[in-house]
Amino acid sequence: MTQSRSSAPPSEKIEQKFRSHLNLVAALTRDFAAATDYEDMAAAGLQQITNYVGAEASSLFLLDETGKELICVACYGPVNITGLRVPSDSGVVGRALQQRKGQMVRDVSLDADFGGAVDEKTGFKTKSILAAPLSIGDEYLGCIEIINKNTGDSLFHDSDLTLLETLSSAAALALHNLRLTQKVVQQERASREVELAAEIQRDLLPVQKGQEFPIHGINVPARSVSGDFYDILPLADGRIWFNIGDVSGKGMNAALLMAKTSSLFRCLAKSATDPGQLLHIINNELCETNSRGMFVTMVGGLLDPATGHVALSNAGHEPPLLLDSKSKKFTELPAEAPPLGITANIMGSEGFPTAEFDIRGGSLYIFTDGLTEARTFGGSMIGNEGARSLILEHQEEHAEMQLRNIAAAVRLPSKPLHDDLTLLIVQDFSSGFHKSRNTVAKNHMCQIEKILHLRLPARANRLKLIRAAVKEAAEYCSCDGDWTKDLTLAVDEASQNVIRHAYSSAEEPGDICIDFIKECDQMVVHIMDFADPVDPEKVRGRDLEDIRPGGLGVHLIKSVTDDARFVTPPTGVGNLFKLTKRL
Amino acid sequence: MTLDVKETDGAALVSLSGDVDLQTSPSVRQGLLDCLETNERVVVDMSGVSYIDSSGVASLVEAFQVSKKKGSIFVLANVSPAALRVFSLARLDKVFTIHESVEDAAAALG
Repeated sequence: MTQSRSSAPPSEKIEQKFRSHLNLVAALTRDFAAATDYEDMAAAGLQQITNYVGAEASSLFLLDETGKELICVACYGPVNITGLRVPSDSGVVGRALQQRKGQMVRDVSLDADFGGAVDEKTGFKTKSILAAPLSIGDEYLGCIEIINKNTGDSLFHDSDLTLLETLSSAAALALHNLRLTQKVVQQERASREVELAAEIQRDLLPVQKGQEFPIHGINVPARSVSGDFYDILPLADGRIWFNIGDVSGKGMNAALLMAKTSSLFRCLAKSATDPGQLLHIINNELCETNSRGMFVTMVGGLLDPATGHVALSNAGHEPPLLLDSKSKKFTELPAEAPPLGITANIMGSEGFPTAEFDIRGGSLYIFTDGLTEARTFGGSMIGNEGARSLILEHQEEHAEMQLRNIAAAVRLPSKPLHDDLTLLIVQDFSSGFHKSRNTVAKNHMCQIEKILHLRLPARANRLKLIRAAVKEAAEYCSCDGDWTKDLTLAVDEASQNVIRHAYSSAEEPGDICIDFIKECDQMVVHIMDFADPVDPEKVRGRDLEDIRPGGLGVHLIKSVTDDARFVTPPTGVGNLFKLTKRL
Repeated sequence: MTLDVKETDGAALVSLSGDVDLQTSPSVRQGLLDCLETNERVVVDMSGVSYIDSSGVASLVEAFQVSKKKGSIFVLANVSPAALRVFSLARLDKVFTIHESVEDAAAALG
């Protein structure tokens, strides 16, 4: 017996229909899986479903970020509604989403939820709707709808709904995968950008110099980019600026503020006179632009490698530790000013305070809280004590080795760093402590020659005599006119300070002693008085922005000599001011 | 140190010479302030200044500030390289009006 298709028995008809459904589902699922964007996917799907079901139009709606609206991202049919937005809680589509199941409306005029808003906008006449939500587990992504069945009895059937629900599951899965892929691509792009930023940031750090160089640093970021920084900036006159800073916060914001602050330091240090003044200017610059509540703790310093003398200003940073070379004891140098970037002129017109001291063959350790807040295996912070014992453990090693070993010691395997870690070591090689024997021997061979000794009453009318003595001493050392004028100015100003300040309270001024000594390639002038000790902190250069008379002397002295400072007088009485100027 | 003043209708030419230091600067200061009391324009000829220190610079700065307040003119002329060096160390070389010569100063002041 032969049978034509049309006259096949019902069971075979159902089987045929089922097979054809399966074929469509298989084909579309394949297309969906291969789709690389929404348009591809929707184009593959909507037309085929619509034609297969025998309907007039179809559309794919996706929920926006807020979940409050559905946006038509693709459609098929006589009118284009791509981009159309409808509320996600109304209409038949909304109901499919709310009830989380497919909806079949054979006659929209009988459905209370049908609003007809789309028809009003497009002139299209909706008669019947089939809608199925797109979901992955509990997550709802959107809805597919098919409009106006126009074949057969022009009525949607349960089998149409089952088919649409099956296809919408496949579409949801494809959509979900597409979104994941896009996310990964975006993350990769972002992480490439962060890598690039990290690379630029690493380039901002100074290049390590050889073992003979007195300053070394290390920066270990907790993430790709760091909020910490340090810099080392040698000047033409041999002195070296250094800094270490920590921006509040982490990540890209902190890294950008870090780049700004370190650039300001590098640029402004070249014309700054002392660290306190420099931090004052940087603070005001930072405050000119909004840093969104972020601020920067910073230690800025200036080392004179010839003498081991350090001028240092600490704006809200962890106290640096000065390790004495002999006693192995630490001296803390606490912050005397708040961090940078909070408000302009925060320290008034005085600026940030500068501390001055000699390293005397020891080492100065400056670090960020990444060191003190590093965790032990037990999970507690190593703290200041832990930092000190780490330093003591490694202090015999050369600087670069110390940095590597200390950083390695606080980096627990398999655990990321808690915070960025930055450490700077400033050493004093001036007295040969860390140098080879050859260099020490050379220092011993250095000639010391006393040229002239003066002792006279500390009175203004003796200044001319003192200047004449400077001229003679300089001439003896074959110095040229400009050099002599500069030293004359310095000695005159230093003597003036004795006349004006040291003996200011005494009724009868005491004596002033001036010694000119030639030490190797430099002239050293000792200016000594026998008055009560002065506080060197109060003898400061003036702020040059302020041109009031007076207070200029110290600035002039520092400008024309290589070193000028108070040292302990040999007899323990009075004050000894030591000027050094290279011949 | 010597300080000579020549006055001609509201203008004073102050010739300063010798060392202007802690000992002499008080009289330089007083001399300059006196000139500004009675003159609208003060030109300081510094050609004879062999040495100037911070107290000397301070006297000039004070005179300059007084002139600003009064709206009168206070200029320097013939500043020696040694004095100019001290001005630039103090970063005051841009603060003062400095003329090459007394004639230049006179021409500039009209």
